[in-house]
This record gives sequence, C-alpha cells and structure tokens, in this order.
Amino acid sequence: MSKTSECPECGEALTLEEGTIQGEIMQCPSCGVELEVTSVDPFEVEPAPEEEEDWGE
Amino acid sequence: MTTEAAPAATLSDADAQAVLVDLVSTPSVSGDEGAAAALLVARMRELGFDEAFVDEAGNPVGIKGRGARQLVFLGHVDTVPGEVPIRIEDGQLYGRGSVDAKGPLASFVCGVARATVAPEWSVIVVGAVEEEAPSSKGARFAKDQYAPELCVIGEPSDWDAVTLGYKGRLLVDFSLRHAIGHSAGPEQSAAELGCAFWAAILAGAEELNAGEQTLFGRLDPSLLEINTQDDGLFQTVKLTASFRTPLGFEREAWEARLRAAAPAGAELAFYGGEVAYRGGKSNALVRAFLRGIRAEGGTPRFKVKTGTADMNVVGPQWGCPILAYGPGDSKLDHTPDEHVPLEDFQRAVRVVTRVVEQVTAPGAR
Repeated sequence: MSKTSECPECGEALTLEEGTIQGEIMQCPSCGVELEVTSVDPFEVEPAPEEEEDWGE
Repeated sequence: MTTEAAPAATLSDADAQAVLVDLVSTPSVSGDEGAAAALLVARMRELGFDEAFVDEAGNPVGIKGRGARQLVFLGHVDTVPGEVPIRIEDGQLYGRGSVDAKGPLASFVCGVARATVAPEWSVIVVGAVEEEAPSSKGARFAKDQYAPELCVIGEPSDWDAVTLGYKGRLLVDFSLRHAIGHSAGPEQSAAELGCAFWAAILAGAEELNAGEQTLFGRLDPSLLEINTQDDGLFQTVKLTASFRTPLGFEREAWEARLRAAAPAGAELAFYGGEVAYRGGKSNALVRAFLRGIRAEGGTPRFKVKTGTADMNVVGPQWGCPILAYGPGDSKLDHTPDEHVPLEDFQRAVRVVTRVVEQVTAPGAR
C-alpha cells in the first residue's frame, strides 16, 4: 500500500498520517490548498470541493 | 417454509418513488400539513421504523433504532402555496414541493428505511411544519426535543452537493406621517423622506460590505414594499426592507444605525431575525457525505446559501456537525416549474443510506 501521495496543486510530497480517514479534508503543508482524502489504501487526494454560492430556501 | 425479510431491506426503487409521489400529491401548504403528516407516519410504519407519530407541533416523526445516540434528519413537510400540476415527464417529477422540500424529506425516509442502524443509535426523521412561514413552528419545537450528535437538514442541494451554511435574515417596517407642503416649496415630502431612508440603508450596507467579495459574506438589503397615501393634510410613507445577514452580523449596531438615519418622527419595527449559521467541513458527517456521493459516482460539491432554512433555527442550539442535503435544484424553489429528476432522487436515497450506515457504524469517526 502506498502511504505517499502528492498535492495536485503544487506537487508537494504528502505522507499518510496515522488515523487519517477517507473523506477527510486536509491542508497541503506547502501551498495551503484544501485537499480531500479520497482513499487511504492507496493514499490518494483530490482538490477539496470548492464552495459555490447559491440561493434558495 | 417462508422467510420474511425486513420491510426496510426490500424497499425497491419503485417503492421509494411511490413514497415521493404520494407525498408530493398530498397538498401541505404551511399551516395545513395534517394530511401529509398522517401519510408520512403511515409510510414510516410500513417501512419498519420502530416508532412513527405526529408530535405536539404537528410534525411527522419516525425513529429507527432505540439507542441513546441521536442522528437527526430534519426536513420539512410544508410547502409554499401554488398548484403545480403533478406529472412525470422525461424522468422528472413535477409538483409543488417536489424540490422544496418533499424530495429531500422522502429521500430521508427511504434512505433511513433501507439502512442498518447500530444498536447504540437512534436515527430520527422529522418533517417539520411551517418551515416556509416566519414561525418555523416545527423546527422550534423539535430543537427542544432532541440533542443530536449529528444533524442533516432536508433542503435541495442537488444529490451530489452538501450545503454547509445559510445566511441570516432581518426585516424592518418603516413608517412616517408627515404634514403635506406645497411641492414648489423647500419641504421634503414623506415619499422623499422614505426614499432617502432607503438610500441611507444602501449606503450603510455598502460601507459594511467594503472589501467583501462573496455574497455569503455581504449584508444584502432588499426593498420589499414601499407605498404612500395622503388624506389632504398628511402624507404617510411605509416601506418594508429585508436584510440577508452574514456571519458575525451585529444586529443591535445595525438597528442603532438605521434609527439614527431615520428622519424625525419615523417609526421602525425590526422583526423576523434569524442568525446566519454555518457548519464545519472537517467532521464525520461531511466525510460520510463525501464518501457516499463518490460511491454513487458523483464528484462532491460544497455550497453556501444566501437564503435561510431550519439550520438557522436548530444549528446554534444543537451545536453539532450539521449540513443540508437533498436532491433537486433550489433555483426551482417556489416556482411554477418546480420539478426533481427521479434518478437524482434515487441517488440521494442511496447516499442517505450510506451516510447512516457509516456514521452509526461501531468505531466510526
């Protein structure tokens, strides 16, 4: 299992920390962008969903 | 030998669609939700909820599981007025409330019915009454009945998105009675003074919004109504304005500012205040939705909304992880074209089932 990944924004090498959960939002320690942990085995991240503004209700 | 599976396990897509269609087909304008509440309670009993009842406020409530830990799905069963002919066309269900918010509520009922709930949990589905009315009667009652660890509000976010927060709201009625002068003279009319007050509101908001780029972060005034009348001696101007308020909005300071800007003799009445609320995105509930949406083939999205919802009512008191979820496009809320894609409804049902099973699983984080 790969315990490393890289930031899709800046390429920073990321290491899976113990206790990390799929679906978690983490921050890239290099560029600060928010990342979503989409898998822990293997360790994979994607840019976290951006916040859209909407109306309604 | 015959074997009987639990009803919940056999809830087919067709059964789920029938729950939605029956609910949308039962009118439930705010204040007149009795028939829809009774229908929903009957359905929840048939679907194997451990308890289903109408509470003292008139909310239909279903509870699955008998544990002490609470996961609350708080939808609303009422709709705004207006008949949208009920029909299915090209995979879309048209009808009043199909989006706001019977689609979300039916997805909660069906998704929870299908889920296996761990023994230490109770999963509570509430269809609040009068969400569309200023009273928010159902949510105000529910907020004192439960103490959930996690809460999902039922509002349309689209099946692949979750709503993290809603702006707040405040309304003001302004009234001024002013002696009529000759229009050739220097005196301002009541109408002009009313317009000047509205201009002061806009200027004040612009000042508070300086540097703020997002709609969610801005104070947004709207002029809802303005009219004048005179009796030959006096002219009266009345206006009603609403404010969509951001997080951290200081209501008392804003009211004081408007009172100072109002002309002498004006009467101001502030009401309808709801505080903006936003849940976090680093918690078990958000994680479960992100995973559930991805498991159904979606790419999850986050939203914040400029309107208000029952999240504004229960969020500050419950203080637990909270978000809003449900199929449908909220741009169709309250419109004559209100409709929800049935496939999106089915996806939302499956996401809800996944979320329930993930967050209530033993050892879940």
